[in-house]
Amino acid sequence: MIEATVQLLATALALGSAYALTALGFVLIINAVGAVNFAHGDLVMAGGFVAVALSLLLPEGLPVPGLILLPAVLLTMAVGGAALAAVAYAPLRRSPPVSVFISTIAVGLILQHAISLGAGPQPRVGPSLVGDGLVDLLGAALSYQQLATIAVAAVLCLAVHTLLNRTRFGRQLRAAAQDPEMARACGIDLRITIGATFALAGALAGGAGLLLSNQYFVTPTDGAMFMLKAYVATVIGGWGRIWGAAVAALCIAVFEVLVAAAVSYLVAEMLLYLGVLALLMLRPQGLFGEAEGRRA
Amino acid sequence: MRLAVHRRGLAYVMLFLTAGAVLLGAGDAYAMRVATLVGTYAIAAIGFQLVFGRLGLLALSQGALFAIGAYALALSSVHWGWPPVLGLVLSVVVPALAGALVAVPIARLESHYVALATLGLAQLVLLAVTNLEVTGGANGLYGIPPLTVFGFDLSDSWRMLAVVWVAVAMALCVFAWATGAGRAGRLATLRDAPHAALALGLDPISNRLLAFTVAGALAGLAGGFQALGLGVVSPAVARFDVMITLLAIAVVGGRGSVWGAVTAAAILVPLPEVFRGLEQAYLLAYGVMLLAAVVALPTGIDGLVRRVLPDAPAPTPTPAAPKSRKISVLRVERVAKRFGGVQALDGAGFDARAGEVTGIIGANGSGKTTLLNIVTGLETADAGVVRLDAIPLLNHSPRARAGLGLARGFQHPEIPGGIDVLATVSVAATLGAGMAALERVGLAGRARVPATSLGPAERRRLDIARALAAGPTILLLDEPASGLGAGERADLAVLLCALAKSGMAVVVVEHGMDFLLPIADRLVCLDAGRVLAAGPTDAVCRDPAVIAAYLGTESAS
Amino acid sequence: MTARLALDGLTVNHPDGVAVDNASFACAAGEVVALMGANGAGKSSLIRAVAGADPVASGRVRLDGEDVTALRLEQRVRTGIGWCPEGRRLFGGLTVAETLDVAATGLARDRSRAADRMYALFPILAERRGAVAWTLSGGQQQMLAIARAVIADPKVVLLDEPSIGLAPVVLDDVFAAIRRLAESGAAVVLAEQVIPRSLAIADRAIVLRRGVIVLDVPTARIDAGVVASAMLDGGSGGA
Repeated sequence: MIEATVQLLATALALGSAYALTALGFVLIINAVGAVNFAHGDLVMAGGFVAVALSLLLPEGLPVPGLILLPAVLLTMAVGGAALAAVAYAPLRRSPPVSVFISTIAVGLILQHAISLGAGPQPRVGPSLVGDGLVDLLGAALSYQQLATIAVAAVLCLAVHTLLNRTRFGRQLRAAAQDPEMARACGIDLRITIGATFALAGALAGGAGLLLSNQYFVTPTDGAMFMLKAYVATVIGGWGRIWGAAVAALCIAVFEVLVAAAVSYLVAEMLLYLGVLALLMLRPQGLFGEAEGRRA
Repeated sequence: MRLAVHRRGLAYVMLFLTAGAVLLGAGDAYAMRVATLVGTYAIAAIGFQLVFGRLGLLALSQGALFAIGAYALALSSVHWGWPPVLGLVLSVVVPALAGALVAVPIARLESHYVALATLGLAQLVLLAVTNLEVTGGANGLYGIPPLTVFGFDLSDSWRMLAVVWVAVAMALCVFAWATGAGRAGRLATLRDAPHAALALGLDPISNRLLAFTVAGALAGLAGGFQALGLGVVSPAVARFDVMITLLAIAVVGGRGSVWGAVTAAAILVPLPEVFRGLEQAYLLAYGVMLLAAVVALPTGIDGLVRRVLPDAPAPTPTPAAPKSRKISVLRVERVAKRFGGVQALDGAGFDARAGEVTGIIGANGSGKTTLLNIVTGLETADAGVVRLDAIPLLNHSPRARAGLGLARGFQHPEIPGGIDVLATVSVAATLGAGMAALERVGLAGRARVPATSLGPAERRRLDIARALAAGPTILLLDEPASGLGAGERADLAVLLCALAKSGMAVVVVEHGMDFLLPIADRLVCLDAGRVLAAGPTDAVCRDPAVIAAYLGTESAS
Repeated sequence: MTARLALDGLTVNHPDGVAVDNASFACAAGEVVALMGANGAGKSSLIRAVAGADPVASGRVRLDGEDVTALRLEQRVRTGIGWCPEGRRLFGGLTVAETLDVAATGLARDRSRAADRMYALFPILAERRGAVAWTLSGGQQQMLAIARAVIADPKVVLLDEPSIGLAPVVLDDVFAAIRRLAESGAAVVLAEQVIPRSLAIADRAIVLRRGVIVLDVPTARIDAGVVASAMLDGGSGGA
C-alpha cells in the first residue's frame, strides 16, 4: 500500500514539476504583456521535439543524454520564445489583448502543423535525463528519470526565483510587469524586458518539453493540452501570481494522477474542467485572489 | 432607396449568385460538395460573428456547439430513427439551449476568463463524445440517412447545395434580425462602452443570452448539415480544428462582418482540398493567414471592400422628443464608500431639485465621481440613502434607475466602434428621440457619420446626447466642460440652463469655476468624502472653509 | 543662471482636447518652479510631456540646451530627467531597496552608494528598506517615489502633486526634501495645488489655466491670493 502511494506520488510530482515549469512561463508572459499566450503549450511540445532531434545527433550510449541536451534545449527554445514575441506580440503592442490571443493561436497552429509535417504525426520518445535505473524508497521502485525530472524542475524554478529576486535584471522584469510606464521612467527598455520574458518563458517551456518527452513521449498535437493545464493553473493560483500558478500546476498533476489511479484519466480530466468552470462562476478571482495591481 | 444603403451587401450577393450560377452550370459534383461545405461553415461563422465580432467575446465554444448539433442529428436519426428533417430541428434547438446555458455563467467574466471557460466547455464536449457509449465513442455514429422531405430526396449534390445556401441566406436574415432594431448599437455599446451601457440601462445579460443562443442555433444547424453531408459523425467534429477554422473565417473576413465571413469561408474552407495528401497542412495555412490577418489586416476582407464601397448614408429620421416624467427632487444622504484603505465617501450627500443646476466641486480625490457612480448604480454604497422623490434607489439596478429617469455623462466618454452617431445616441431610445437629442447638442448634421470619427469636443457632446435621448429627469454630468474651447463651453452652459428650465434636475461635477458659477443654482463642496458646504452658489462661494479647502490652503485640517 | 530645462512652445493634445497650449518657460539649476493650477488645468499633461511619457503635438523640450523632444521616455531618463508621477505609482511588489536598485544606474557598487545617499536624504526609507512598497504609509510611499525619481542624479526633477493624500505634518518633510533637491543643484518643477506651501519653497510660480500659462513670476513678488485668483478666475486669457 505504502509502496503504491509513494510510487504514485513520485509519478505525480514528476509530471507536476513539468506542469509547474509550463505554468511559470505562461504567467510570466501574462504579467509582462497582459495577454494569454495560446502558443505556450506548443512551445512545450516544440521543446520536446527539439530534444528528440538533438538526441539523434548524440552518440549512442552516453550516460546522461538528457542532462547534456538540457542547456541546448533551453537555449533553442529561448530563441523561439523571443521570436514569438517579435512575430505575435510586437506588431500588436497597441491592439487590445484579444488580438494577441488570436495571433498566438495562429502561431501555435503553425508550430503544431509545421512540426507535424516535418517530423510526422506519430509520438516520439525523447532522451532520458540520467539513463535508466531504479531507486528503492520505502519499498517503492522510483525511476532515475522521475527523480531527475523533479530535481531538474526544482533547479530551474530556483534559478527563476533567483533571477527574479536576486538580480537587477529580474527586478527590472518585475518592475516592468507591474507598471510598464514607470519602468520606462526608470530607464528600462520594455522591448528588452518583454523579449527577455518571452525568451525565459520559451526556455521554461522547452525544459518542460524535454522533461516530459521521455516518459510521456511527445506528439505534435500535445500543445493544446499543456496550454490548457497552464491556463487552468493560472486561474486556480490567482491571475498573475507566478508561484501560485506553479503550485497550482503541481496540484493539478497530483490530482490527475491520483484520480486516474483511483478511477480513470477521463474522470480526472472531466473533473478538472468542471472544477474550473465552477471556480470561474463562483470565484473568478481564483482561489487565492488575483495579484496586486495586475493589468488585464 | 434602401438598396443604395446596402450596396455592399448587394455586391456580395451578386458575387455569390454569380459563383453559384457558374458552379451549377459546370455541374461538377465534387466542386458542389466543396461549395456545400463552404455554406456549412459560413452558417456557423455567421453565428460566431455575433458573439466574437459584435459582443467582442472570444467564445471558443462555437466549435463545440457545432459538434453538439452534428451529434444531435446523428443520435436522433441513427438511434431513434427520426427523419433527418426533424433531426435538423433538434440540431438547432439543442445547441441553442446549450449556447444559452454557456452565456449565463460567463455573463460577467472578463475576456481572458471567457476564453478559458469556453475552452473548458469545448474540452468537456470532446471528452464526452469520445468516451460516451451513446455517441459511439471514438468510432462515432454512422449510417445517417440522406435528407428527405416528404419522400423527396434532397441529398443529391446540387439539391443539398441549394438547401445549405438557402440556410446561409436564412442565417444572414437571422443575423440581421439579431442586430436589427437598434440591437447593433446596443451590442457595440456593451462591447466598447460598458460603463455607459450600464448607465443607459442596457442589460448585458439578456443581450449576451440572445447572442449566444443565436450563435448556438447557427453552429448547431451547420453541425447538422455537416453530419448529413458526411453520413457519419465522429469525435473529429468536436476537435479544436473546427473552432480554429471558424475563428480564422471570422478574423480573415473581418471581425463582426457576416458578408466578410461568408467570403472568407469561400476562401478558407476549400483549402484542405488544395492541400490534400499533405495531412493537415491546410491548418498550417490557416495559421499563417490568421496571423497575417490579425497583424496586417485587422479589419479583414470586409474592411478592404468597405474602402472601395463605403456605406451610403442612411436617411435621417424626424426628431421626436421623448416624453419624460416629472420629479421634484433627488436626495442623496449620508453616503459612505470605502476602497481598500481609503474612505472615499464619508457621509456625503446633496439635493438636486428639478429645474435647477446643482454643481459639485471639490479637490482631486474628494469623492465627486464616486458619488455620481453610486447614484447611477455603477458602484454600490457601503451606507447611505438615495431617493428620487419617495422612491429609494440604492436597491434598484442601474437599469431600473435609468428607467426612473437617471442619466449619466462621463468624464472620458466611451465611444463604440462600427456604428454611426445616431445609432450611438439611440441605443436606449427611439431613433426619433436620438435625433432630437442630437439637435439639442448641435450634432444633428453628423448623425450618419461613424461615431469614432468624431473629434474630442464632439465626443463629449455625443455622450451628453446619449444621456439625453431617453428623456431623463435627472442628468448627472462629470466634468462636461473639460477639454472644450470657449465657444463650446458657452454653448454647453446655454444647453444645461435650458435643460434645467425644462424641468430637469441637472447635476454637474466640474472644476472650471468660470463655467460652473454662472449656471449653478446651488453648489455642494466636497472635501475628503464629506460635504464641506452646500447651499446657494453665492453663499458657498463666500464660505471661508470652501475657499480654504478648494484653493488648497492647509488651514482646513 | 543657465536654463537647465527649457520649454519652447510646448503643445500637448489628449483624447478630450488640447491639454497644454503653447507653453514656454525655463528652469535653472538650483531653482524650484512651482507649476500651479486647478484640477484639469494641464499640469499633469505638461509634466508627462516633459518626462516623455506622452507625445508632444508641437514645440521643443531642451535639457541644457540640447533638444530632447524626439527621445522616448526611457531615453530621456538617461539624459537626466527624473519624473515622480501623480499618484506615486510605486512598483507594488518590490521592496524599498529593490525599487531603488531598479532606478539607480551603474555597477552594483555605484547603485548601493546611490541608495545610501537616498537613505541619508530620507532616513525613514533606511528603516524600511526591506519592506514591500505597498505596505509603506502614504508619506513613506511619497518619499520612495521621490527617491526613485532622483536616485540617478537627474539634472531636472519633475514632481507631480506630491502633496496628494499626505497629512500636513508629513507634507513639511516632503517639501523640505524637495527644497534640498534644488539646493543640491537640480532644476525642480513642482506641479501642485497647495498654494502657500508650494510658494514657500519655490523661486518662481507659473500658473496654468486650461492649458495656458497665465502667470509666470518670482514668488518674492506675489502672494497666495494672486496665485489663487489666477488659478480660478475665468476673466482673461481663456482657451
